[in-house]
Amino acid sequence: MNQSNQPIVQLTDITRTYIQGEIEVNAVSNFNLEIKQGDFATLCGPSGSGKTTVLNMIGALDEPTSGIVSIEGQSLSELSRSEISALRRDRIGFVFQSYNLIPVLTAYENAEFVLALQGVKPAERHDRVMQVLKEVGLEGLENRRPDEMSGGQQQRVAIARAIVTRPAIVLADEPTANVDSATAEALLDLMQELNKNDGVTFLFSTHDQRVIDRAKRVIHLRDGQLESDVLQ
Amino acid sequence: MQLNRLAWKNLWRNKRRTLITGFSISLGVFLSVTFTGTGDYGYTNMIDASATMGLGHVTVEAKGFNETPSLDKRLKNSEKIREQIITLPNVSDATVRIMGQAMFASASKSVGGSFLAINSATESEKINLMIRAIVEGELFDENDGRGIVIGSIMAEKLKLKLGKKIVYTTTDINGEIVGEVARISAIFKTGLDEVDGAMVLLPIDRVRKTLGYTADESSMITVIISDQRRAEELRDQLTTMINDPETEVLSWQQTQRDLTGLITIDKTTNYLSQVLVGLVIAAGILNTLLMGVMERTREFGIMMAVGMPPSALFRLVILESFWLAIVGLIMGVMITAPWYWYLLEVGLDFTEMFEEMGGYSAGGVLIDPIMHIRLFKESIIAILSGVFILTLISGLYPAWRAVKTNPVETLKTI
Ligand SMILES: Nc1ncnc2c1ncn2[C@@H]1O[C@H](COP(=O)(O)OP(=O)(O)OP(=O)(O)O)[C@@H](O)[C@H]1O
Ligand SMILES: [Mg+2]
Repeated sequence: MNQSNQPIVQLTDITRTYIQGEIEVNAVSNFNLEIKQGDFATLCGPSGSGKTTVLNMIGALDEPTSGIVSIEGQSLSELSRSEISALRRDRIGFVFQSYNLIPVLTAYENAEFVLALQGVKPAERHDRVMQVLKEVGLEGLENRRPDEMSGGQQQRVAIARAIVTRPAIVLADEPTANVDSATAEALLDLMQELNKNDGVTFLFSTHDQRVIDRAKRVIHLRDGQLESDVLQ
Repeated sequence: MQLNRLAWKNLWRNKRRTLITGFSISLGVFLSVTFTGTGDYGYTNMIDASATMGLGHVTVEAKGFNETPSLDKRLKNSEKIREQIITLPNVSDATVRIMGQAMFASASKSVGGSFLAINSATESEKINLMIRAIVEGELFDENDGRGIVIGSIMAEKLKLKLGKKIVYTTTDINGEIVGEVARISAIFKTGLDEVDGAMVLLPIDRVRKTLGYTADESSMITVIISDQRRAEELRDQLTTMINDPETEVLSWQQTQRDLTGLITIDKTTNYLSQVLVGLVIAAGILNTLLMGVMERTREFGIMMAVGMPPSALFRLVILESFWLAIVGLIMGVMITAPWYWYLLEVGLDFTEMFEEMGGYSAGGVLIDPIMHIRLFKESIIAILSGVFILTLISGLYPAWRAVKTNPVETLKTI
């Protein structure tokens, strides 16, 4: 429904200030960013530079102190709490660093969780979940619970859960930080394929050079400000 | 959404904690059933026993007789009203009686006491404790005859035996002192000293003549019903049916105040101790649920991040408390059923303890030394809903805490 000329994410003059005791800390200041359909971009920069803060604001988990966050042309500040909740459910996929999953649910049920929240019919849910689990390479592991899977497999389930709803963008905060090198490469292969074949838009935050090397676009932050935004 | 299934699974994440809490709920069910069940049984037992001591579950009488009994407060048309009452559903018996005071004398001694003048055709041991307790002789069968039934203690005091003569004196409706001679046709022994020493049964028509009552006048109609809980309902029904300002219909709660007071006090202590037990258990449930919530803040953060609305999260925790209540109830039924069955079929025998305490009576009423149990339907409903309400209320705060989860905060820590 979105033409590629409309940005999926638009941050306009964003500042996010935390008050710590007496002092104000600008986690992010005067930050502008556009993410387009099909991007495979990463935020990088030293620890504390504001990467997570930016992702959280795009994911409507946090609000800027000033500035506008728009998702598919919709300014988030105009949405009610339940609309925000529905927006996260329908338009945004999340992959966190680790412990992404609901421990009592199987791989299948975790991937199904958001579809169920959306009220998708069980038969359709089943088809879509089986399809996506196959896509992320978890065929046959549907009934495993998180504690019966490796870290890499758990991250695959998280990716499956994030993409099964066909969101506008998948936000992944350091998705490779807690897995070994080979697993990181495999996860990146997977996400790259999803990006290439299905056009899934990704925005990462990372310290991981492998992620930076594979990204089509690298956005550098320093002290909460944009340092560079490079297509590669 | 399969919130229910998720809640059920969450409940078993910490099996030990859930089982311990379930066990504490089941203990509450056990105590509650025991307290309530012995009460339901014991009160009914006492009320029914008391009803057969003269005043019934419901009494129809001349206005004011209950407050200050006197011979000029007389119920007219008693037989006709009785005929009507006896046809009503739930009424198992109704009988016309005259009650009064008299002096009873033998050749050697005299004692004061009360008489209950009865119609031997409509009385039976089912509704009259004294008839039930006859140990010698038989109830007189002539209502106009000279028979009298006295208690064992009075017989002893007056040094009288079965078949001997006894003289009683009372005042008639004109205030004149009148005397009669009667012959002892039976002696009863109820075990209650105040009954065995001071109550007698007399034939009603003879007493009517002595007192100057007409053939259809009496002190009261005593009504016995199959379920004591319906006494007040029947009282109201009879009041409307009889519809006479000179007549009063009273329930056992009004005519047997001592018993009513005793039961009220007992019920209240019983109820309060159950509330206390309930609060202790509720604190345990709250603790379990709250711990469960506090351990899962990251998980809640993720669920909210991926679009679970706070209301659904709230429901999830409430459902967890709901399932905890179900688990507790099932465990409760498992441990309570055998105990309930035992009390129902066998009962606890307090005979020795009662003997040491010197009797089987409380509030002037005989009580069964073997304690049984019985649960009224409304008590079962009360216990079940009590458990659910307590558990669900205990779930409110943890549920609220869960909803307060801030995804950003919880996701920051890995
Ligand atoms: N809740 C908060 N209260 C106060 N300060 C905060 C809070 N969250 C973040 N900050 C501050 O905001 C700045 C940016 O933090 P952020 O987590 O976005 O950095 P980051 O780039 O993701 O770092 P890292 O690479 O370590 O994850 C930091 O200085 C941090 O201390
Ligand atoms: Mg970060």
